[in-house]
Amino acid sequence: MTTPFSPPLYMQRYQFVIDYVQTYRPRKVIDFGCAECRLLKKLKFHRNGIQLLVGIDINSVVLLKKMHTLAPLVSDYLQPSDGPFTIELYQGSVTEREPCTRGFDLVTCVELIEHLELEKVESFSEVVFGYMAPGAVIVSTPNAEFNPLLPGLRGFRDYDHKFEWTRDEFQTWAHRVCREYGYSVQFTGVGEALGHWRDVGFCTQIGVFQRNFDGINWSMSNAECLEPSVYRLLYKVVYPSLCDNNIYQKTLVNEVLYEAQHLKQEWLSRLNMDSNNNAHFYGPPFMEALQHGDACEWQPVYQQDRSICVPLTRVWFSPKVRALCGSVQRLREELLEEERVRMSADGTVLNLPADDEEEVEEEKEEEEEEEEEEVVKTVSAVSNSVEEDWDRELGGYEGV
Amino acid sequence: MTGRARARSRGRGRGQEPAAPGAQPPLSQEAAKPVMPTPPEGQLVGRGRQKPAPGAMSEEVMLQISAGFQQVKIGERGGRRRDFHDSGVHTRQLMEHVKESKSGVSGTAIELRANFMRLLSRPLWALYQYHVDYKPPMESRRLRSALLFQHEETLGKAHTFDGAILFLPNKLHNPETVLCSETRNGEKVEITVTLTNELPPSSPVCLQFYNILFRRILRILNMQQIGRHYYNPDDPFNIPQHRLTIWPGFVTTILQYESSIMLCSDVSHKVLRSETVLDFMYSLRQQCGDQRFAEACTKELVGLIILTKYNNKTYKIDDIAWDHTPNNTFKKGDTEISFKNYFKTQYGLDITDGNQALLVSHVKRLGPAGRPPPGPAMLVPEFCYLTGLTDKMRADFNIMKDLASHTRLSPEQRESRINRLISNIDRNADVQNELTTWGLSFENRLLSLNGRVLPSERIIQGGRAYEYNPWAADWSKEMRGLPLISCIHLDNWLMFYTRRNAELAQSLLQTLNRVAGPMGIRMQRAIMIEYEDRQESLLRALQQNVSRETQMVVVILPTNRKDKYDCVKKFLCVDCPTPSQCVVSRTISKPQALMTVATKIALQMNCKMGGELWSVEIPLKQLMIVGIDCYHDTAAGKRSIGALVASLNHGMSRWFSKCVLQNRGQEIIDALKGSLQAALKAYLKCNNSLPSRIIVYRDGVGDGMLQSVVDYEVPQIMQSIKTMGQDYEPKLTVVVVKKRISSRFFARIDGKIANPPPGTVIDTEVTRPEWYDFFIVSQAVRFGCVSPTHYNVVFDNSGLKPDHMQRLTYKLCHMYYNWQGIVRVPAPCQYAHKLAFLVGQSIHKEPNMNLDDFLYYL
Repeated sequence: MTTPFSPPLYMQRYQFVIDYVQTYRPRKVIDFGCAECRLLKKLKFHRNGIQLLVGIDINSVVLLKKMHTLAPLVSDYLQPSDGPFTIELYQGSVTEREPCTRGFDLVTCVELIEHLELEKVESFSEVVFGYMAPGAVIVSTPNAEFNPLLPGLRGFRDYDHKFEWTRDEFQTWAHRVCREYGYSVQFTGVGEALGHWRDVGFCTQIGVFQRNFDGINWSMSNAECLEPSVYRLLYKVVYPSLCDNNIYQKTLVNEVLYEAQHLKQEWLSRLNMDSNNNAHFYGPPFMEALQHGDACEWQPVYQQDRSICVPLTRVWFSPKVRALCGSVQRLREELLEEERVRMSADGTVLNLPADDEEEVEEEKEEEEEEEEEEVVKTVSAVSNSVEEDWDRELGGYEGV
Repeated sequence: MTGRARARSRGRGRGQEPAAPGAQPPLSQEAAKPVMPTPPEGQLVGRGRQKPAPGAMSEEVMLQISAGFQQVKIGERGGRRRDFHDSGVHTRQLMEHVKESKSGVSGTAIELRANFMRLLSRPLWALYQYHVDYKPPMESRRLRSALLFQHEETLGKAHTFDGAILFLPNKLHNPETVLCSETRNGEKVEITVTLTNELPPSSPVCLQFYNILFRRILRILNMQQIGRHYYNPDDPFNIPQHRLTIWPGFVTTILQYESSIMLCSDVSHKVLRSETVLDFMYSLRQQCGDQRFAEACTKELVGLIILTKYNNKTYKIDDIAWDHTPNNTFKKGDTEISFKNYFKTQYGLDITDGNQALLVSHVKRLGPAGRPPPGPAMLVPEFCYLTGLTDKMRADFNIMKDLASHTRLSPEQRESRINRLISNIDRNADVQNELTTWGLSFENRLLSLNGRVLPSERIIQGGRAYEYNPWAADWSKEMRGLPLISCIHLDNWLMFYTRRNAELAQSLLQTLNRVAGPMGIRMQRAIMIEYEDRQESLLRALQQNVSRETQMVVVILPTNRKDKYDCVKKFLCVDCPTPSQCVVSRTISKPQALMTVATKIALQMNCKMGGELWSVEIPLKQLMIVGIDCYHDTAAGKRSIGALVASLNHGMSRWFSKCVLQNRGQEIIDALKGSLQAALKAYLKCNNSLPSRIIVYRDGVGDGMLQSVVDYEVPQIMQSIKTMGQDYEPKLTVVVVKKRISSRFFARIDGKIANPPPGTVIDTEVTRPEWYDFFIVSQAVRFGCVSPTHYNVVFDNSGLKPDHMQRLTYKLCHMYYNWQGIVRVPAPCQYAHKLAFLVGQSIHKEPNMNLDDFLYYL
């Protein structure tokens, strides 16, 4: 079906959800009837703090086909996100109760209800609003009043639509749902008609339901650890995030070592320069002290035996390290447990190996030993070997 | 990775399209038998659109079109790709003497395991190809797919459909099935599914299908696709000092090998960086200042592969658009949108630096439905991650050491990694499910096969012969104290040094003198010339002192900085042709290693002036061996360079070398034709006759370029030989040499998994039925896994037995004078490589022809 809308209407519907997420920042979101997972794919980019994103559809084939498009990208591994993020896909029906689906912040049903038989809509309402009882629900559905404006349209917009509601019908249903389950609703939509047709309303009508505050914060008493008992879990992926302690530890250590290595290099090259100029001074260069404002904070890198010592406080200057660790104390504690980082006993200084070039000779190690050693050779005269002549052997072929 | 490996890999990155004139679309040799009179549409390539409804075209037109497409291809992500595996190049059938057997006989048998697994299918398995027709015709591929799969109960769970052609693992009841579907608008659509082909397991389409299926399997195993290969993101290792992250992964291909269809999988590593191009640019700017920034940036970045943040696509940076920023707009559909807004709305990504220049990548991939490439891609540095290493990192010994410690796997480790993949495939329920719906499975162990270890060669040196330890494949000890075959005495030579290195120069001179005697080289004292440590003064010193009579110039360089080296080589290879030897002061700074180093330098200097070191027996007379290799300099779009090296004598100890710079759009062989003629003339001069056999070893053939070698290069070589005289008809053999392959072999030695010994030949099972090919493991490596070299004889009218071909090839691996041991490829290839690399890296001009008879580039 070609729609005269730009961007296309489905995009506008997705954008509506994205905008909602951006404003209200739900943490746990379900998309009912996610089909090809396109909204989920969008939301995975426009996360805005979503921690758990669930897609449910009755058609498992399409989910199995599309589920891998929701897998993390390479960059998700290279720069893990701050917050946790998990995507789950279930096969299930909107008219069945699944304990796992309770306690969510937002449930979206984009162009879903019109695919249900009218009598099923009742149980849909009961399941979504009564049983799952999320903080908010977004329901979108075609506005039948708009249909005359769609070129070439006879009947419903999709062969699978069981009904298409007028604004009145939709709102009547919505208000009843609100009364029964304690929600309040606001109506809006996407896809406006132009000029004097305006009063037919949006092409897609949308109801945004908010649960009336009832003192129970479902989100807290969620059932995250439950195994699904009614729906079938088809796909689950946990995105790498800094909430995973292993990843956090790894990222932090990498950042610290990167910073420390840089400080060491800087120090070494300055040392080199100094020795070339025959001017030895070990104090902090004036400029640098000024930049950090407070010269007392500035502790020099120095060498002790065979290691270069980088004070932890210098590493702490790195904004990336700061972002990962709230305080120097925390940084110290984290690093003391880490075997990849060598620290002084009191945890104030990082020790890096001083010599970069120790093993340049790796390749030659072996040759050095046998400097003057007498080599036993198996020297023999050429004559006693049987000489081959492939040309002669080829005689047979030559004739061919 | 060494500099040369880098150059190689970059060359590949550029993706030389096989644009050889006369190259034809590969003919499908499959034994696919039409099960019924094939309707012409059935042959139509099913790549997406069905733009003009088939019914609307006349039968004649259809036939014409279908004649153009002999091979059906299954749709694949990223549009049409070239055939990386060179399948469909059938050269063996044209060589009578190897039709029956291409196996050799020499040597002792050895039991090996290879990184191959058989693909098993149930008996009588076939892939059924159906043509799908819609009435009324449906435009959208998605819609066509949706309509068809309303009938999953009829068609079955396993299917692959590209919009016109449907593949099923099971045969439908009737050759023609009519199905009825309904569109969203309630429109009734009649779908006719007609059987057009029954594809046997080894048909090209099936092979393509297996590969697609296997990629799906890797994805189920949570592997990430980067470029063409798959990597495991869950267990990376890091080199934090440089923000490097290395992902282990696999290179896999499923092909028809000699007797069965197998999966070949080798361990591969991907170097990624957890910093964006923008981060990189910032730190570069900090290092080199604003003025040199643009230049330095271009130098460091162009040629690198980046990975975008918002999808898993890789691009090669071809240029930097300094006049563009994310505020520039591009056309998306009908509207102009700025990069900034696009990324915000599409991916929720914010651009923090609105002034960053954009990266340009010339996308070669075809657009949707085979349309021409959509033009250069503009990329935002902030959203691009670097992959791979920069030149600076490669030059950093410590990084390379760290990298090697993780990526260089012992045979044992490598085998166990591959075995782990096998067991993952075997144990994962989803994978098994995917495979069984298609009626396929993999054998759950590595392939066992037999190889042969060729006898070790006898090295002949000055009338005496000796053997070497076959496991070490090295005779540097054995040759000590033995005179060389022929020596050039040094009467007039120069040594340049800086003041700092004056002492080192003296001790080098003394040591050279000490080691030269036993070799048989008489050495006069060199003229010692001090130069100031600046490029201009070095050049001036050379200009003032090098004369026509100068036999050799030795330059001691204070650092391994490239510019001075380049300056010396440029001057002495082009302007004033004189053999030269550069030595970096650090290599001679350790007194205890000086003897070893000086020995190598003395040998090298002798070769450069035309001396001969050693030889092996070559049981063929009047033979000329030719080696060809190319160097692709991608930086700043420089030209490719081809080098040809040809033997001049029976002992393969003297060589004629020529290097040419390729013109834009020219095939490398066009430029090398003249070189081959010059080589033949040089041979004639030395031997008073032309060779009666010529064997060409052609290295540097990229994946997917084999067809053009066969169709274009071989005739060109023959034509060029013809110019020597109408009745001159030498026997010709052309062998394509490939070093970068993913086949690996493991031996079991003393109960441990180890590398096969040098000289191991493999010519069964893992070779290809359509080729006359074999593998030789010629070197010995001390760390890590040895990589076999693949030899593919694409043309041969010599009648030479496969056994002799293999042995001759192995013999030639003994003849590289810069290494007192066996190398990975025949010496002429290694020489050609060295020459092309020197010209490509340092000289950038054709060397002076007075040097042609010397190995001056060693």
